[in-house]
Amino acid sequence: MKTMKRLCAIIATVMMMLVLPMEGMAETPYEGYIWNTEGRDVHSINGYVYHDSIDGAFLPTGVFNNPEDIFIANDDTIYITDTGNNRIVHLDQDYEVIKVIGDQDGPGKLNGPKGVFIKEDGTVYVADTKNQRIAIFDQNGKYERELTAPTSTLLGKKFSYSPSKLVVDKRDYLYVVSEGNTKGLMQINNKGEFKGFFGTNEVGFNLWRFLARLIATDEQKAKMRSVQPLAFSNLAQDEDGFIYTTTLGTDENQIKRLSPVGVDTLNPSAKKYGDLLSYGGNIEISAFIDLTVNEDGLITALNLQTSRIYQYDKLGNLLFVFGGTGEQNGVFTTPSSIDQDSEGILYVVDKGRNRIDLFRTTPFADLVHTASKLYVDGQYEDAKEIWEEVIHLNGNYDIAYHAIGKALYNSEKYKEAMDYFKKASSRTDYSASFREYRVEYVREHFAWFFGGVIALFIILRFGIPRLIKLIRQGRKERRTALEGEVDAK
Amino acid sequence: MNTVQMMRQVLFKPLDFFYDIQEPNRLKWSQGFILILMAFIARMASLLLVGYHFEARAPYQISYFHEFIWILVPWITWCLANWSVSTILDGEGKFKELFVGSAFCLVPYIIFIIPITLMTNVLALSEESFYNSATVLILCWVGLLILIKVKVLHDFELGKLILITFFTLLGMAIIWFIGILLYGLINQFISFFLDLFKEIRFRL
Repeated sequence: MKTMKRLCAIIATVMMMLVLPMEGMAETPYEGYIWNTEGRDVHSINGYVYHDSIDGAFLPTGVFNNPEDIFIANDDTIYITDTGNNRIVHLDQDYEVIKVIGDQDGPGKLNGPKGVFIKEDGTVYVADTKNQRIAIFDQNGKYERELTAPTSTLLGKKFSYSPSKLVVDKRDYLYVVSEGNTKGLMQINNKGEFKGFFGTNEVGFNLWRFLARLIATDEQKAKMRSVQPLAFSNLAQDEDGFIYTTTLGTDENQIKRLSPVGVDTLNPSAKKYGDLLSYGGNIEISAFIDLTVNEDGLITALNLQTSRIYQYDKLGNLLFVFGGTGEQNGVFTTPSSIDQDSEGILYVVDKGRNRIDLFRTTPFADLVHTASKLYVDGQYEDAKEIWEEVIHLNGNYDIAYHAIGKALYNSEKYKEAMDYFKKASSRTDYSASFREYRVEYVREHFAWFFGGVIALFIILRFGIPRLIKLIRQGRKERRTALEGEVDAK
Repeated sequence: MNTVQMMRQVLFKPLDFFYDIQEPNRLKWSQGFILILMAFIARMASLLLVGYHFEARAPYQISYFHEFIWILVPWITWCLANWSVSTILDGEGKFKELFVGSAFCLVPYIIFIIPITLMTNVLALSEESFYNSATVLILCWVGLLILIKVKVLHDFELGKLILITFFTLLGMAIIWFIGILLYGLINQFISFFLDLFKEIRFRL
């Protein structure tokens, strides 16, 4: 009887486990989708679901006012740039206030700060936008010093300094996004000296512009709007010191990974991020305003235009899309910033509602993340089983077909690999495995091919000359017969 | 001579072929249409038989009607433009000769495109140049036949041949432009009367 009861209890728990997450998914105010390799949006399983919120109203520090940035330090404590209240709020892992930075009168008083960065030792760098400076505080929140607007001939006379986002690298160099600056990220050393621009966006060649320039007179040229490269909107830094940037006003290469010399290593060719098509009617260009990168190289970027969040793997393949515009939990009114903690929970600042929404991964996302990590590291074999499970759950997940194809290719199962590459519509990889399969096929049927070659040789060498001879002979006979007839007549 | 023999002649002795077809009653109108139909079939077959890794479009993206229009309309407009231009500029060709002769120019494409396409099923993408050069070769052959046709049928020398070809292309562009213009106007015209009809019915 006792065992019976226990069994019932176990069954009941299992049932609940099965049912609960499903219900949770049904409650999400957004539907999971993914852009597949044919360029269509297809249904997918949600990777992230709403988990919790941090609202300033329930904290002793009071309601947030238009928070613009969030930074989660290595110890998982949270720094919120509370722009409207001119302060940085520091919360611990349980969302309790540790300290408030920059709200005291004095030299450390902030004015409309828009970005914050915390170094490993706890030093706080604040992009104090309206004061046109970078303010530096120590780990206890005590004001240390400031880096005022740098001067350099490179910057030009009209340059107005409006630092909004920043990161600090291992050499203590600051990379600063200055609003409206199209020349690239500003590199500033620890003494506040300008050290040059970094990773400037290129102005592509435009035939129309070129022709217009060719025809226009000098006066007309002066009136034409000068073409500026696009401005960066935000930046993030990964463990290896690569700097990731987001760019506004373009529909391709909005996300870049800049190497230490400022070269984009994420996009070998032009690539579209965000939604590939919009069904709204208007042409809507994605506006990525923030991004975060974890230790596995997963890039999670926030698109203000759709209020959605897009997650990409290290190679730039889309994994998940979630969020949207709305009033429910899980969608946003005006999102402004995103970051993640060491457990992979995403924190999205919704400045429209003055709160921070937390998203946790679904079991499906955990599966994909594990597989993706192995796949990106080149461990195709280990990743294969997990990818198979992913396909079992979600047949629309093309990247899984591609990954399995790679695994099969590596283990020299070319025929199967071809099928999987076909499903992932990867023509180059299909061709590569086809090439190998062809060699294999010829080797296996060598006798037939060899026999065929010999037969062909014999036919060409002896068969055809004989045939020609026969035909000629036939014609000759006919002709002689005809001539004979004519003669006879 | 039947159509098959004529196809052989246009492949191996194009000059003779175009001299010969100027004899009266050598050509039939039906031959032209049959050849165009065959070119269309060859085109569709090549689109469907191509190896997966060579596919530029997925099968669902291919429209039979669209492909047919893209063969039929250029052919007809070429013939019309060429005939009109050359008649003004002392060409000797008759419309029937041009019409059916142009269709015969497509014979290399009809015959060779399918074997070439079948080749993609044993080639990898790295050997793409074989396929590409073979296709270009075929198209050049067709182009050359068209030039020979213009030269022989109208009895032009080289300079005039180039001039006429250029004017023909120009004429084609004009025909297309006018066609599109007419299409737009007729659309407007019809929708005007439809609107008028609706309006009247609404008032009554």
